Amino acid sequence: MTNDIPAIADPIAFQLFRHSIIGVANEMALTIFRTAYSGVLKNIMDYSTAICDREGRLAAQGLSLPGHLCSIPVALKASLAAIDEPLAEGDILTLNDPYSGGMHLPDIFTFKPIFVDGQIVAFAAAVCHHTDVGGRVAGSNASDSTEIFQEGIRIPPLKLYRKGNVNKTLMAMLELNVRMPDRLRGDLRGQLAACRIAEQGVQALATSKGPTQFVKLIDDMLDYSEILTKAAIAKLPDGDVTFTDYIDDDGIDVGKPIPLVCSIRKKGDKMVVDWTGTSPQVKGAINNTYSYTAAASYTAVKTVLADGAPNNDGVFRAITVIAPEGTIANAVMPAACAARGLTGFRMADCAFGAMAKLAPGKVFACGDGGNTNVSIGGYDKDRKPFIFVDFVSAAWGARPWKDGLEGNTTMFANMASYSIEVVESENPIIITANEFINDSAGPGKYRGGTAMRRDYMLLEDEAILSVRADRQSHRPFGLDGGHDGAPGRNVMNPDRNARMLVSKFTMPIKKGDVFSHHLPSGGGYGNPLDRDPQAVAEDWLDDYVSTKTARDVYGVILTADGVVDLPATEKRRADLAA
Amino acid sequence: MTDIQRPRIAIDIGGTFTDFIVQDNQGALHSYKTLTTHDDYTVAITAGVDRLLDMAGIFASDIGQVLHATTLGSNTLLERTGAKTGLITTAGFRDVLEIRDLRMPRLYDQDWDKPKALVRRRWRRVCEGRILADGTEMTPLKEADVRTAIAMLKAEGIISLAVCLINSHANPAHEMRVAEIVREDWPEVHLSLSHDLLPEEGEYPRTSTCVINAYVQPVIKTYVARLTTMLVQRGITAPLFFMQSNGGLTPAEVAAEQPIHIIESGPAAGVVGASIIGAATGTDTAITLDIGGTTAKAALIRNGQPGMATEFQVGGHVLQTERLLSGGGFSLRVPAIDLAEVGAGGGSIITRDAAGVPMVGPRSAGSNPGPACYGNGGTELTVTDCNLILGYLNENSIAGGEMKLDRSLAEKACATYLSGPLGMTPEEAAHGIFTLSCVTMIQAIRAVTTERGQDPRDYAVFAFGGNGPLFAAGIAETLGCSKVIVPPAPGVFSAVGLLCAEIEIHKSRSFRRLLTEETVVEAKSTLVEMAIAAKADAKRDGGRVIVTARMRYAGQSSDLLVQLGDPATLTHAQMRDAFVAEHDAVFKFTAPTDEPIKITAIECAYAIPVGKLDPTRRHLAGTREESRQKAWFGPKTGWLDAPVVPRAGLTQMVGPCIITDPDATTLVPPGAIARMMPTGSVEIELGVATVGTVPHAEVADV
Repeated sequence: MTNDIPAIADPIAFQLFRHSIIGVANEMALTIFRTAYSGVLKNIMDYSTAICDREGRLAAQGLSLPGHLCSIPVALKASLAAIDEPLAEGDILTLNDPYSGGMHLPDIFTFKPIFVDGQIVAFAAAVCHHTDVGGRVAGSNASDSTEIFQEGIRIPPLKLYRKGNVNKTLMAMLELNVRMPDRLRGDLRGQLAACRIAEQGVQALATSKGPTQFVKLIDDMLDYSEILTKAAIAKLPDGDVTFTDYIDDDGIDVGKPIPLVCSIRKKGDKMVVDWTGTSPQVKGAINNTYSYTAAASYTAVKTVLADGAPNNDGVFRAITVIAPEGTIANAVMPAACAARGLTGFRMADCAFGAMAKLAPGKVFACGDGGNTNVSIGGYDKDRKPFIFVDFVSAAWGARPWKDGLEGNTTMFANMASYSIEVVESENPIIITANEFINDSAGPGKYRGGTAMRRDYMLLEDEAILSVRADRQSHRPFGLDGGHDGAPGRNVMNPDRNARMLVSKFTMPIKKGDVFSHHLPSGGGYGNPLDRDPQAVAEDWLDDYVSTKTARDVYGVILTADGVVDLPATEKRRADLAA
Repeated sequence: MTDIQRPRIAIDIGGTFTDFIVQDNQGALHSYKTLTTHDDYTVAITAGVDRLLDMAGIFASDIGQVLHATTLGSNTLLERTGAKTGLITTAGFRDVLEIRDLRMPRLYDQDWDKPKALVRRRWRRVCEGRILADGTEMTPLKEADVRTAIAMLKAEGIISLAVCLINSHANPAHEMRVAEIVREDWPEVHLSLSHDLLPEEGEYPRTSTCVINAYVQPVIKTYVARLTTMLVQRGITAPLFFMQSNGGLTPAEVAAEQPIHIIESGPAAGVVGASIIGAATGTDTAITLDIGGTTAKAALIRNGQPGMATEFQVGGHVLQTERLLSGGGFSLRVPAIDLAEVGAGGGSIITRDAAGVPMVGPRSAGSNPGPACYGNGGTELTVTDCNLILGYLNENSIAGGEMKLDRSLAEKACATYLSGPLGMTPEEAAHGIFTLSCVTMIQAIRAVTTERGQDPRDYAVFAFGGNGPLFAAGIAETLGCSKVIVPPAPGVFSAVGLLCAEIEIHKSRSFRRLLTEETVVEAKSTLVEMAIAAKADAKRDGGRVIVTARMRYAGQSSDLLVQLGDPATLTHAQMRDAFVAEHDAVFKFTAPTDEPIKITAIECAYAIPVGKLDPTRRHLAGTREESRQKAWFGPKTGWLDAPVVPRAGLTQMVGPCIITDPDATTLVPPGAIARMMPTGSVEIELGVATVGTVPHAEVADV
């Protein structure tokens, strides 16, 4: 334990409080889940909730997206600095502008100051990804916008409610500038309901403890996370490492790789994650704000530390994240950033790569690169708009001690997938395939997760298809002799005049067109020739590995029934090793 | 004499014990408890039934009904001991079981693994043919694919087959044709069809539910056959009923065909018991709290009805306390009592993290070695050790006096792991753990109350299980509830619940329509039909019809279960009002009145009571004398002298006092009043007397 952080004075009283306050943040998250209207929230769960202290520091986060880890305090502090009128009971603050503290325009923040005895004791915070906030492409998340002004309506820090009364001017502006005002209104209602629930919970807690003790316990929450985080950091070896990975391109300068450079400097119980050397900001809409870069960094470090520290400001105090302004890791005006999710996922992977260098044998190989995004939008015959927004990620890299997962969401965003039948009943779309791709996993002593494909067929006359994907030319890395994962692919009409597409694009499609999206697979860990031949045989029986891969990559010779021919396998492995 | 006037026997298999209760034809109750025989449950059942009938002096041939709750279904899933199962599904959807909804129940955990799919990929085969969401056929079924799949699976030695095709809920034609082909080519295979079991949208829950049925069915069928044979050999020819997860009893032959309904059999029985006994005690709104050695389970009873869930997760090792953390088990979409569980009980081990902050569970010392004070070699500090240090347990009267607890071992463990490092007295530290245990267990209660829009303060706490009555008052005080009920026989209460339950025939139909005048007319006539069918299936009169609908605002993703009145007089306004009231109760808001409302399913149950129960009529062996001991109630109150009273000796008493049953201990805190109710339940009224009253909103008096 470190000397500079005060120890928790009353560990039992603290633990009792911690249960209560995290319970409130979770209840907020559940409220949004159960009341939201749009698929992005109710099915994919792209939102986060939190309780912040009276200075705007994150104190307790609800169960939600790691990717939103430090966005809430950044946005809240920016709002508090920008709004010059005093806060009153019943106020709700809002913002979405990335250059005023937000992340990307679809993420609308709401903050509610919580008062006890006329004093602010905490803030309730909720951020939700809204289906559409206007801009040039339905869904407001096109990867090929080149400046923020194309991406939708920008909300600076404003009061959405004053003393319980809605800001009608702001709502009217919002509703006029988005494609589906009903959905926006419905989802905002869920966000506000969550803030109200938090207000009740926090007021009850602060009243029973007394406001002074409440504030002290909140401080303990931050200290607690800092203590746990530093104790876990101290256990890792000291070192100074750098890992470089590349995004294929930004979709505008097609074919021009974008370097991500993550350096980690670790000494004693201190750690710095530094993105100096990372590409300058790009034309395409994949530029990150600082908070998203920090979230990616914390996700990788926290996962490896496995310290159970609650997500709050104490974690941020223990780990410093540096991202130079004007880079893709910390963009400035007028960079477009709607599709910045891609960069965030890739930065998390890059930070995992750096952690693997710092602590070999403790970190998994690279997964599929995080959620890709497929949006299909247009108007039906009655000129009614439809927008379908899909996010999917499914393969993990191999763990140093076992295979990677397939059919499981990425670490950076624990996002759910749609039910195919629900997609089909609510959209003019048929999903013609949603399954693993045979023989696709990154080979290794432990193999990566198998890739997944999802194929979309359009039923309306025409629509705009917008895709944000990556890892076509820079594949998910293997570790310690494990092979890289398979690349991602985009194919138009795979069963008739198949046409290969780049990783990021926006294009019109017509009735009957099938867009086939192949995610990358996870990288392997260790030499495939060291894989247990029986594991290869089991994978062969399950069509995860072909006869050819078994023979040529794993050096395993199988009979027609899938039984390992041991002598032939030993010989084959010796030949391959030579 | 009809079967319900004859003696009825209830058998509840739990993780550690198998409990038996028989109600003789005078209404007296006789109970027995023996260790569960995990290799073959019928061994313990045989021994228990013989012993109990002998004790009660009842002839086997006189038994009128056998009522059964079993963990066989959930254990088969947990331990992966089900049948070798195959799946036939639509081309392009081979991996639905593994893709699930992609989510995981843990964040930042590189070591996370999904529970292994019940059907291996090699035995998941596909066929061409496609139905769309509106039920139209896009591509005809390719029968050759079906025959190829059957041939392959047959050759592989598959015993049970699930069939789930995309959109079969909207039009089952392809799925029915696959079934015909299976019956032609492979008549001996056990067959489960998704549209039959769950005619609802959502390919993952439907496939998963269908596969669970296929996987468990052969095991349950064999078990029912063995159990029936065993009973017949003893001369018991009475009908056998199983407790379903929804709290109703179902005939054994129905359970064997659709075992998905009996997966959470045991926990449901306790909640049903609580709803009946609670109502008899005058408490029809209660939080049930079932605390054992390893877990605490909570459910909600509103207006005498247990809260219901439409879907839950089974077969994972992750407890479902957090509703946002799906993916820990397999989705099972059948109506079930809405239970939440947290990994904290009497055997839970206390650990401290790197910041010195203590945690209760989820690791448990179990029954072997058990808590340090058992003297079986356990050295780690458990919740029970802390309770002993505080004087909440009687050292000499555990397990009906058959076991002695060693206080010095508990104190030693406390000094080593807690009070020493924290610089506290043993009782301060132990009381901290008692309070922390309450707060930890409350997570399960929050999941069924505040997360469902209910204020726990409006409810009584109804406590059972070996440790429920000990924590009930502490938990109730922390939540701000004013009343605790401890039923008779709290340690074998699930078996009591079996004797209280009703036979319930459940019918449900997918009914995806907007709520309009016309659709209500359609719903009404469909429900009337369903009620007639349910009555016909029940083959008995004297029941009542319960009608519910699953509804949401069009555009929302989760349904609310809405109770409706008599289907014959159902109106549009009634349905709308019932939904809006429920939405307001759960979410604290309603949408504008012109917001369209969607019905997704209508359900009808026919429930028939099978017998009357007088729980006061329990025969208790070895009733002990009253004694006294010191108990510690926090730093403000300190040590107090607490009488230890056997339940039979209680009329009314002001706390502190300790009420003992052979299999549970009830703690009555200072200032509370405990009184014996006519039903045999102990009712504890909290915070009425003034002696050292614990503050209400918090027991954080540490």
